[in-house]
Amino acid sequence: MLGEFEYLLITAAAGLGANAYGVSIREEIESTTGRQCSLGALYTTIDRLEKKGLLETWMGEGTRERGGRSKRMVRVTPKGVRAAKTFYEAVTRISRGAAWAGS
Amino acid sequence: MLDGPRTLLTQWLLQAAARLLERHEREAVLGDLTETGASAWRGMSEVLGLVVRREIALWYDWRPWIAAFGVALPGSLLLMGVSLSVSCTFQRLTGQAVFGVCAPTGHQGVLLLTCQAFLLLIWAWTAGFFVGSVSRRTLWMSVALCLSPCLRCLSRFHDPSMSGLCLLLFLPPAILGVRYALRTMRMRSGTALALAMSATVLMIYTWGNSASWILNWALILPAWYIAIRARSAVCDAGA
Repeated sequence: MLGEFEYLLITAAAGLGANAYGVSIREEIESTTGRQCSLGALYTTIDRLEKKGLLETWMGEGTRERGGRSKRMVRVTPKGVRAAKTFYEAVTRISRGAAWAGS
Repeated sequence: MLDGPRTLLTQWLLQAAARLLERHEREAVLGDLTETGASAWRGMSEVLGLVVRREIALWYDWRPWIAAFGVALPGSLLLMGVSLSVSCTFQRLTGQAVFGVCAPTGHQGVLLLTCQAFLLLIWAWTAGFFVGSVSRRTLWMSVALCLSPCLRCLSRFHDPSMSGLCLLLFLPPAILGVRYALRTMRMRSGTALALAMSATVLMIYTWGNSASWILNWALILPAWYIAIRARSAVCDAGA
């Protein structure tokens, strides 16, 4: 079972598709949750998910706004999609009937 | 007026902190910080946060603990004792007076001295190899734990007949062992087994001649670990 932050990261990366890398994933998580996301938390979680086979990463090309430095691109694997789906279904099921859940 | 030098200094600190990261990660992180326009101080705290998290993650594994607290620290204490023992035996054999030092020197024959010296070499080298191969990225902690008792003992060692450096005879082979591990990671199965067998036979001989402490038996464990690991690697490759 995924952790909360792992789920957020996988979902953000899946939503960003081919544009998923450090900065874009971080901005997505921060704008959606309203919480600060440190680079340390982001990259250590990416590593952990990659070790579990839920993400793939590779070094992309550098751009001018990055001072020519490469991006670490992220792609969600089919195993990652299944893990996120399992997490989402579990949260949805357990939230049924909760006072804060939508009708 | 101060902004220029201050910015340069923080940029330099940021680059220095980023050097603690691996090359690809450094590239990605510094690129991210440039893209988001983070200040140098903010960037440095982000990079240091990542470095600390990385370092903590390494210690979730059992290997760095064994290398640092199971081998480097107790190994340095035991090997200092063996170094002293070898030095005492050598001095007594060459007719030099030894004052105040109490180390097991057995029957003080040339053969026993040779055995002790070989044992010291094998113990120190295999301990260094073990530490270097199982905890490459936490080596700094193992080195610190190995050196701290050495420095403490050196500062307290006052024997007119003997140099304090006699305590550190084990350091050169241990450093060579670490270097070899960092370069190759694995040893050939036959070599590793020969080292472990030699250490055991020599230990039995010196033990039988009262030239070893009982705790010295623990020093052959790294040699046997290396031998078993090398053997299992051969079996895995064959399977």
